[in-house]
Amino acid sequence: MARTDSTGSTPDFDLDGQAAPLLEIDDLRVHFKTDHGVVKAVDGVSWHVDEGETLAIVGESGSGKSVSAMSILGLVPTPPATFPSGDIRLRGRSILKMPEKQQRKLRGQEIAMIFQDPLTALNPVFKVGDQIAEMIRTHQDVTKTVARRRVLDLLGEVGIPNPGVRINQYPHEFSGGMRQRAMIAMALANDPKVLLADEPTTALDVTIQAQIMALLEKLRQERNTAIVLITHDLGLVASHADRINVMYAGRIVEAGSCDDVFYRPQHAYTFGLLSSLARMDKQRQDRLLPIKGVPPSLSKVPPGCPFHPRCQFATQGCVEAVPTLETVVTDETMNGGLHRAACIHSDQVEIAYSERLAP
Amino acid sequence: MAKFITRRLAHAVLVIIAATFLIYLGLFVLGDPFASSGEKTVPPEIQEALREKFGMNQPFFMQYLTYLQNMFTFDFGIDFEQRRDVGDMLAAAVPATARLAVIAILIEIVIGLTAGVIAAVSQYTFRDVFITIITTLGIGIPVFVIGIGLRAGLSGEWIFPAVPRSFTVETPWWQEIILPAFTLAILDAAFIARLMRGSMLEVLRADYVRTARAKGLSERKVIGKHAFRNSVIPVVTYTGVSLGVLLGGALITETIFEYQGLGFLLVRAIQQHNNPVIVPIVVFAVLTFVVLSTLVDILYAYLDPRIRLH
Amino acid sequence: MTTPPQSGREPDTHVPAEALMTRFEAPEPGAADATDTTGKGKKASGQLRDIWRRYKRNKLAVVGLVVVAFLMILAILQPWITPYDPMEQNLLNTRKPPSDGHWFGTDVLGRDMFSAIIYGVRLAMIVGWSVMFLSLIVGLALGAVAGFRGGALDSLIMRVTDIVLAFPALIGAILVVQIFGNGIWQVVIALAILSWPTAARLMRGSTLSLRESEYVEAARSIGASDTRIVTRHILPNAIAPTLIYSFSHIGVAVVAMASLAFLGIGVPPDIPEWGTMIANAVPSLNVEGESHMWVFPSLAIVVTTLAFAFVADGLRDSIDPKLR
Repeated sequence: MARTDSTGSTPDFDLDGQAAPLLEIDDLRVHFKTDHGVVKAVDGVSWHVDEGETLAIVGESGSGKSVSAMSILGLVPTPPATFPSGDIRLRGRSILKMPEKQQRKLRGQEIAMIFQDPLTALNPVFKVGDQIAEMIRTHQDVTKTVARRRVLDLLGEVGIPNPGVRINQYPHEFSGGMRQRAMIAMALANDPKVLLADEPTTALDVTIQAQIMALLEKLRQERNTAIVLITHDLGLVASHADRINVMYAGRIVEAGSCDDVFYRPQHAYTFGLLSSLARMDKQRQDRLLPIKGVPPSLSKVPPGCPFHPRCQFATQGCVEAVPTLETVVTDETMNGGLHRAACIHSDQVEIAYSERLAP
Repeated sequence: MAKFITRRLAHAVLVIIAATFLIYLGLFVLGDPFASSGEKTVPPEIQEALREKFGMNQPFFMQYLTYLQNMFTFDFGIDFEQRRDVGDMLAAAVPATARLAVIAILIEIVIGLTAGVIAAVSQYTFRDVFITIITTLGIGIPVFVIGIGLRAGLSGEWIFPAVPRSFTVETPWWQEIILPAFTLAILDAAFIARLMRGSMLEVLRADYVRTARAKGLSERKVIGKHAFRNSVIPVVTYTGVSLGVLLGGALITETIFEYQGLGFLLVRAIQQHNNPVIVPIVVFAVLTFVVLSTLVDILYAYLDPRIRLH
Repeated sequence: MTTPPQSGREPDTHVPAEALMTRFEAPEPGAADATDTTGKGKKASGQLRDIWRRYKRNKLAVVGLVVVAFLMILAILQPWITPYDPMEQNLLNTRKPPSDGHWFGTDVLGRDMFSAIIYGVRLAMIVGWSVMFLSLIVGLALGAVAGFRGGALDSLIMRVTDIVLAFPALIGAILVVQIFGNGIWQVVIALAILSWPTAARLMRGSTLSLRESEYVEAARSIGASDTRIVTRHILPNAIAPTLIYSFSHIGVAVVAMASLAFLGIGVPPDIPEWGTMIANAVPSLNVEGESHMWVFPSLAIVVTTLAFAFVADGLRDSIDPKLR
């Protein structure tokens, strides 16, 4: 079970005593009623992100990472979805409790989103330029000409050559990487404070992936945008994220700075993810250890720690109670917040991992 | 795009040539269109005049060309019944049929699209189930049953003129058109509603609709612009083809309501073995159908930019 | 050429959109049972059971199936269950409303309407199923050849379908009947001529996509003959869409014959046929007490077409859920 000590109505305070964070999710639960029972897609998740920061949410498909992002934009249809608890706050204002009309003003204006597959995420029957201009004119009272000029600037900014030609083309005339750049241009059109990127590079070639990630990195630095990077690819986030949340079966199982998670994993699942990853920063390659089994169906989550059926460290204790997300004390100084994990065997995990790291 | 249109037009021309040849083969070569048949006796002088007009003493190929020339110069000869010029008879019937077709199509588009969109956005609710039941009935009940029902129940009442028409009372055209137009529109409206519901439901699940919502567009804009534009494409195709059929004459409906259009003319001509009238109407019906289908394909390419590439 | 509207199939919509929900859900355990594509005899009974299991869920389709079965029994048993000879005239007892002796009343020539309508069932079934089998056989054969062989033969067959489909259905049927003359079998031929092209195109489409599939490649690599590949590997897997189209066409054929008969075209006027009966009732439309003459044949035709439509819908959803 995730941390549930905050009451939900009062603004949360960070450790440093600063005011409410830019975007904050607090004990969020999103459940779906289906024929096969209640699917607990997100089950008590809390996190926050600040300006100029990149938060990565990592997990396999079905771990609830996309649903939590879509809830922020109000894109999860209700029904079938219900929100039994939790809150989403932007600068302390609750988005979930806002009337629909106000929520809509935030979408695309304060919070924008980039989707996984830019071919299907762009409307095939409208010109790319018109789709970006629509984003601007929905939120700003500007003329078509002004919007068009803005679109040309944006296309140039995201590195699309020949914006004057590209603006009048349809999505199918773009290559995959160009489409994702156009998608990013659209997301940036209103200078949002938060950018949600849901698997932004999964549908792209590996060489294009690096370009897109570099572009996001550049925009974050220039505009001080907060980026929430949702991905299943640990390798992708290694060099781009400040902090990482690892999700499994609708819950956060480990959260911490990039260094903490990569070099001192405390959860058996994170350990599994890292051990199944080929690493370029090591001289001698260990054998890659795949995680056995498949993620559980979210309507039939195993009792106790949801990962225990696949876990090499599992004991009877793991079946009996759901481990809570506990702060882990490590030798290193805290850079980028607390390191927390929901694993009763975190000591063993840390030892096992340091043995793998050792030459 | 230009290449696509050219290829499509060339194809249409070839199909028209082949189809007119088939009609020629069937009506002129396999049968003698101007001979007496059944109880019908055709005066020899009329037979002679028509044979001359269609060049039937000429060789096979020249005959076909003469027939084509006659068809495209609206020179069809005279009919067996009242010895009127067939071209004049068609000229009177075509506008009536066109009027009926266009009004019927307008009615079915308005009703069909509205019902389809409402059903799709309220999937699984009572409204959706209700519309689905109505459309199933609309598609399942044959046109002539609907027409007969409307005529039995409504003709002669309120603003609807009596059938058979009374020649002593002048009825404005819109009163005469209203029942046949609805008869024609009911089936197609049901079909359009079902088509629209299906494609709208599919489009509503598409990623770009989610993108539109993520942009902060109002639900009305999401449905009315992004989802509608994509899901209406199959409906455009269906409606265009349907218009192509109706412009050639709504045989059953015009007959039921004795509406003076091409369809009624054709049915009566067949019943009376009035062959000089049959030939041009069949050719005309095929022609409008092919032309409309071609236009629809071109329109499709305009509506869905992805098609233009291929 | 675009498929004419009377084919009654919804065109394939163009955007493959994944359901929002499927992204959130882990695969369910039962989802794997539809993956068998080899169509081997051993699996066939299992496939049929799956189809029936899905079919049963659609209540309207089950009702439709019961009605269709009932109609088939009526059609077969017609000579023994009609209380009167459906052709027998009685000019002293015309246009009588329903009574104990004549359940559905009598028509303009004093024939028993009940007997005539049951005879109409027999006629409709004969014509509907005949048109289906004829167009199915021709469509399957030509479609499979066109799809499998490709090249000039394919172009030729496809151009022929283009030309046939250039005729609006009723106009085409009228033309064929004008050429061959009146008669039930002429009508059957006319309707079959107009419906095989769509069947052939569907068959060609599925054959084309299967021809390139890996299991056909595999069969070819072990030296299977073309005939064997088509009959054993392609036909069983490609047949579903064509079969569903042809079945849904039974109702269309029944309506088409009734429409022709209503217009006095093709069907000989002395045969008790629903469309003819309705046409005969037209002068009585606004006459008090004579509505039975058009109401009963109309009901017969509506029940028949709806029943076949429900069964066709059920088959489409249960045999090939992707076609939806």
